[in-house]
Amino acid sequence: MNKTVLALTYLSVLLVACTGKTKGVDASASEEVKLEQYIVVGRTLYLQHCSSCHQKNGQGLARLYPPIAGADYLENNIENVVCNIKNGLNGPLVVNGIEYNQMMPANHKLTPLEIAEIATYIYNSWGRSDGLVGVLDVEKYLRGCQAK
Amino acid sequence: MLEKEMNNRVSGLLAFMSAVMLLGCDLQSEKKLPYLGRREVNNSDTIYHTIADFKFVNQDSNYVTQETFRDQIYVSDFFFTTCPTICPIMKTQMLRVYEKYKDNPQVGILSHSIDPKHDTVAVLRSFAERLGAESDKWHFVTGEKEEIYKMGQTSYMVSAVEDPSEPGGFIHSGAFILVDKERRVRGIYDGTLADQVDVMMKDMEILLKEYE
Repeated sequence: MNKTVLALTYLSVLLVACTGKTKGVDASASEEVKLEQYIVVGRTLYLQHCSSCHQKNGQGLARLYPPIAGADYLENNIENVVCNIKNGLNGPLVVNGIEYNQMMPANHKLTPLEIAEIATYIYNSWGRSDGLVGVLDVEKYLRGCQAK
Repeated sequence: MLEKEMNNRVSGLLAFMSAVMLLGCDLQSEKKLPYLGRREVNNSDTIYHTIADFKFVNQDSNYVTQETFRDQIYVSDFFFTTCPTICPIMKTQMLRVYEKYKDNPQVGILSHSIDPKHDTVAVLRSFAERLGAESDKWHFVTGEKEEIYKMGQTSYMVSAVEDPSEPGGFIHSGAFILVDKERRVRGIYDGTLADQVDVMMKDMEILLKEYE
């Protein structure tokens, strides 16, 4: 008798758990998967294109290469971050109150999708969780970059 | 009876292990670094490959020559400040070497720019300062391009060649070259790999012991 009750309770818990997951949350679940995918690919691209200077942990190197982890430069500045990844950067740049002045190379070969993945990675790592940076947004930001 | 046998076995094992450990210590203390490069034998005297004389200018506009590294072992590499690929990794690794040996007067570091046209004294000074490197320990040098390339290829036995198709326009090996106080090359390591640089720093300890 007791066993039957237990089994039933167990089953109902399972059912609730299942419905809880699927019920009306389809969109956000797939968003979450997409975010996860962007972060994973973004990390690979980051290690390939960015980590030599900014280091694997995003800490930068001395006063030569600025940090990305914990950088105030990221705050409300996604447009410039995207443009810098694509076009590189010349001249002085202040990050967290420290001036850096090392040329950042352009990455003309990166596609908008790849830039979106890298941006998503750095905006969702090292204490940040700003969510997805989408391809359409990146394309929009890229159109707005100042021609160099 | 059984207990005694066990005891015998244990002590036998202990003796064996101690012997292995002692042997290990012995081997380590006697390990000597090789002499790299071509050698010649003259009447039973072996003449080893040595670094040729050089004269470059460092980040303080001072001349850097063999005399600069008198009574020092030193690590040499080739880079340029605008290199987007392996140089930042090399500098990250060399900074570890610098941090470890900055208070040891017997150790120096010599980084050659292979883009001396761009890497002027002022550019190198700014680069070194931002990296946090003191001039009397870590020399960043510039000079005649042909001279620097020749040193790289013939003395330090690494390649530093121009290639317009590469990002930055140069290809180079990323090697760290360990030189002893008699200008002989005692080790060449991949300066882009942290574990290779670990090996080099262990080798530097072994080399320094030769001069104790």
